[in-house]
Amino acid sequence: MSIDITAMRAAITRLAAAMERDFEALNAADGALGDGDLGVTMTRGMRLVAEGAPDLPEDLGQALLRCAQAFTRSSGSSYGTLLATGLMAMAKAVKGRTGIEAAEVSDLVALARDAMIARGKAETGGKTVLDSLDAVARATEGLTEPAEVAGAAVAACRAALDAFRDRSATVGRARIFAEKSRGMDDPGMLAMAAIVVALAG
Amino acid sequence: MKKILNDPTDYVDEMLAGLVAAHPGHYRLHGDTGRVVARATPGAAGKVGIVTGGGSGHLPVFTGYVGTGLLDACAIGDVFASPSAEQMADAIRAADQGAGVLRLYGNYGGDVMNFDMAGDLVEFDDIACTTVVLADDVASAPPTEREKRRGVAGMVYAFKIAGAAAEAGQDLAAVTRVAQKAADACRSVGAALSSCTVPQAGKPTFHIAEDEMEMGMGIHGEPGVWRDKLRPADAIAAEMMDRLLADMPLAPGDRVSVLVNSLGATPHEELYILFRSVKARLEAAGATIVMPLVGRYATSMEMAGVSFTLLKLDDELEGFLTAPCDCAFWSVA
Repeated sequence: MSIDITAMRAAITRLAAAMERDFEALNAADGALGDGDLGVTMTRGMRLVAEGAPDLPEDLGQALLRCAQAFTRSSGSSYGTLLATGLMAMAKAVKGRTGIEAAEVSDLVALARDAMIARGKAETGGKTVLDSLDAVARATEGLTEPAEVAGAAVAACRAALDAFRDRSATVGRARIFAEKSRGMDDPGMLAMAAIVVALAG
Repeated sequence: MKKILNDPTDYVDEMLAGLVAAHPGHYRLHGDTGRVVARATPGAAGKVGIVTGGGSGHLPVFTGYVGTGLLDACAIGDVFASPSAEQMADAIRAADQGAGVLRLYGNYGGDVMNFDMAGDLVEFDDIACTTVVLADDVASAPPTEREKRRGVAGMVYAFKIAGAAAEAGQDLAAVTRVAQKAADACRSVGAALSSCTVPQAGKPTFHIAEDEMEMGMGIHGEPGVWRDKLRPADAIAAEMMDRLLADMPLAPGDRVSVLVNSLGATPHEELYILFRSVKARLEAAGATIVMPLVGRYATSMEMAGVSFTLLKLDDELEGFLTAPCDCAFWSVA
């Protein structure tokens, strides 16, 4: 069973609903260390993605590219741009295809992670969304069953939050409050956990 | 919050509408995002385009410097927020006259990421892009980590010099080289006396006591190097010059330009009081001042405070600095 445009549209519906639900929570988490607009970024971006979902083409590369553009159009925030960067990297990899196997998820997430590392000029280990993606890419490696992949991805995001909670941020705006960030979840990692849970259904 | 506005969410769009209405000979809105300002009369075909972008709240930076001998287009974000990559891509397209485009802007994470992304987006239009990033604020990182420094009022000098090089018909590589040379030759430092308020936030960005000042503050209220009792003008000027000259020593015979800039609320009167000290200090070092600038060139909303920028000149930089330019906020005849 492969992921096609029908599955992608259903995932978009779930994710858009999750971002409406988490609007205040993400703003609050972001406000503790940053400028408090992460909920705004995610909700605005996903509304635009959801609006375009019925018209998405069957070519998953083109469809992912349009999702990326929704984020580059709706916001100038770093997180939105990073997500768009990751989506564009995935889009290039699956261009011209109408289905993706669950077994490919690990490699696609790794591609997104690497593109975002390059764009953000940051490394893993800094308590950012990159660490969530790194955990998902590793945890799903070698898995082939959709349910297995989904379960491993969700568990990896939660484990990454636990592993980094008491560490201090070393990149991004949160590094200015490095000590204060100890004991707090990174807002970008929190958002990614919510995204993965929604995508996993 | 006490501001003259209608709805905070309309602050930037209404400001831009007013700007282009007041100066139709200088500016026009370009594209459909409503957040790209371009020259009313585009540059000559075959001229290298120069584009910038950043948050609102800094006028005349960034938008104001779109003009002849300066910038071709600018993408504008919300107050203190980066424009989107899409808006920056539109600004690059507006600036392109077929000879490529230099992206010239300040070193802020979001702006860097979005301008890089905008480069990916205009690849499809076959527009060659180069980048020069301003990182002139000596208070924001030590000399060993210069690439991490914030871009502040030094942008004004870089816009002026790169704009003159492009106007003179230099190609993209040459304009980029001279812009980088200008960026490398300037140093800035700021000091703030009061906070400022982002309209959509509705309350001051930070709190500072009535009798206190902060040395080294950035143009969005980023923390500086110390906060203490307010000092006399000459003492403030002395420390700011110390910090600049420690980072970029001057030798007798050096030619420099200096910008004494208001961060928004500080009046010209106080800038001129400071300029006395600055001039005496530069002359004591044996330096000659060329085309000094005193006024509101790069602001931080209604923050009270000042920044000094020093630009060390050679013949090439001096020629481009003193070349004619014209925008609604500044002209060199």
